[in-house]
Amino acid sequence: MSVNIGMISFAHMHAASYAASVSANPDANLVGISDADCERGKQVAEHFETAYLQSDEALLDAGIDAVIICTENVGHKEKTLLAADAGKHVLCEKPISTSVADAQAMIDACESAGVQLMTAFPCRYGPAYIEAKKMVDAGELGDILAINGTNRGRNPGGWFVEPELSGGGATIDHTVHIVDLMRDVTGDEVATVYCEMDKFFNPELKCDDAALITMDLTGGCIAALDCSWSRPPHYPIWGDATMCIIGSGGNVWVDLVSEKLNLYQNEESSYTWVGYGESIDYALVADFCSCVEAGAPVPITGSDGLKATEVALAAYKSAEAGSKVTLPL
Amino acid sequence: MLNIALIGAGTMGQMHASNYREIEGCRVAKVYDVVPEAAETVAAALGAQAVPDVAEAYADDIDIVAVTCPTPHHAEYCCQAASAGKHIFCEKPLARTVQQGEEIVNAVSDAGVIMMVGHVVRFFPEYATATELVKSGTIGDVGMVRTTRINTMPGGPGSWFQDYEQSGGVTLDMIIHDFDWLLWTFGKPKTVYSRALYQHMPTLDYSLTSIRFESGAIAHVEGSWADLTTFRTSFEIAGSNGLIEHDSTQNATFTVQQRQVEEGLAAVQVPSSPAKSPYLVEDELFIEAVAKGNQAPISVDDAFASLRLALAACESAETDEVINL
Repeated sequence: MSVNIGMISFAHMHAASYAASVSANPDANLVGISDADCERGKQVAEHFETAYLQSDEALLDAGIDAVIICTENVGHKEKTLLAADAGKHVLCEKPISTSVADAQAMIDACESAGVQLMTAFPCRYGPAYIEAKKMVDAGELGDILAINGTNRGRNPGGWFVEPELSGGGATIDHTVHIVDLMRDVTGDEVATVYCEMDKFFNPELKCDDAALITMDLTGGCIAALDCSWSRPPHYPIWGDATMCIIGSGGNVWVDLVSEKLNLYQNEESSYTWVGYGESIDYALVADFCSCVEAGAPVPITGSDGLKATEVALAAYKSAEAGSKVTLPL
Repeated sequence: MLNIALIGAGTMGQMHASNYREIEGCRVAKVYDVVPEAAETVAAALGAQAVPDVAEAYADDIDIVAVTCPTPHHAEYCCQAASAGKHIFCEKPLARTVQQGEEIVNAVSDAGVIMMVGHVVRFFPEYATATELVKSGTIGDVGMVRTTRINTMPGGPGSWFQDYEQSGGVTLDMIIHDFDWLLWTFGKPKTVYSRALYQHMPTLDYSLTSIRFESGAIAHVEGSWADLTTFRTSFEIAGSNGLIEHDSTQNATFTVQQRQVEEGLAAVQVPSSPAKSPYLVEDELFIEAVAKGNQAPISVDDAFASLRLALAACESAETDEVINL
């Protein structure tokens, strides 16, 4: 038995890593790719030695079990509804949507079609995070009192800085990974959000590129998250994903990109970090495939995607109002 | 010769006293502490006189009063010293409350004495160099600033440090260092929002503070008295034209390990720095200012501004409100 996967759109750069993960998985087949950008679609299909299909409908009709959706953020809803309608399970790139209503519509559509909707939060598969979660669950850190997180990066450019396609800027892009880990590790929801947000690093931008979010969780844990695109273009890595967890019984630091080599090349100022950690994207896709095959519930749901996105949306609301925002919105 | 009266013979008092011994043109003449034995021990080591009554710290033969006692008593001693016409060095934070801080500012201004508060981070070369880079425009307009200052819970059981009412916890006592450096480097603050764990003292304290400056810059200040290992700091400053990073754990210039020869003793790692102590730089600059009759390199107004920011963060953490400054 193996799972047949189709991919809708390579607009998000993570698609390439997911495609490679499907290809490398002995229990999965990459059946085909559809992409509104025909040239891009043909190119990646050739690269991954799979079929390019002229339309999403053709892909959904190509004998697949599930789709991985990596369109621009605003396209997630339409494609998910299409897939649900065709009875296909969905792994959707983060953020799940650009509004709570869209996320809810996606969840509802998948539920009534009897297919699963999983949000792509690969950080959950970071070995350092898994270890931290194990310790928390075993009570080894006592009560979780505070979490200080970062998901800083370089400005990805392209449609990410077009709010009509991305739903915002750095905040919609980089809030959800760490907020998802905060929710998962504590088992609590975000209760209040205060955000300082701005555009600092590129005056041409139409969207935010810096934000600092301060939160209270329902269980009383305090938290902060820096989701800025504050890394300069030549920073040695795209960005980071870290958490400092303060518990009544001890502290834990999780750094999901610390496994790296320093690489210096002959080009002027060339300094790069080359990661050697396990691929969390592979683990994410493999877990999705095995859930689809076994008919088991996916571990990261559409609702998880909604809750994390809601925090990002609350951050925009807080920054605009200059005051704390209470969730749910 | 400038005669110094030391008020408070604890860790910081002893450290400054040891610096004063190395600085020409000054000496510790008198030591006062509410615990007379503490004053006697420190005085004996310095060849100074332990005095049982604090009034003797303001006697005619004293030029400088160094206030290194617990924070809630700073105002009382600083105001007395100022009224007696003494120049003053006071450890940070300036005071425990805004009102106390105001009293000190007024007393010092009325008396026309020279006063400096120990915001020593300005003399740590990594911070001073970063400030220079920022002020010279090397990284363009500054957007996001992040600072981290991590320590174990200071003091022993029953220590005043471990009582929020007295010390103000990690937010007032320790990360006021970062607040002062931020104000010095990035100018006036506009709003502050802070969450903290001071309710968990004396086991631990931890705070996460968000600050927006009038310049537009945003700062995040992490302070921890929840750590179980060693003191460390880090900062990053992201601007429109670049990024500055520093992490004290990555920049040790000197590390020593000694293999103990005595039976039963394990090898211990002793981190240390051969560079000149920023505390000695601070004390030298203050003594020089007094000797020359100059303004101190850190003004009382600056120290008061840092105090107000730290207390605003405390208030925000206590009330869960965003504070407009």
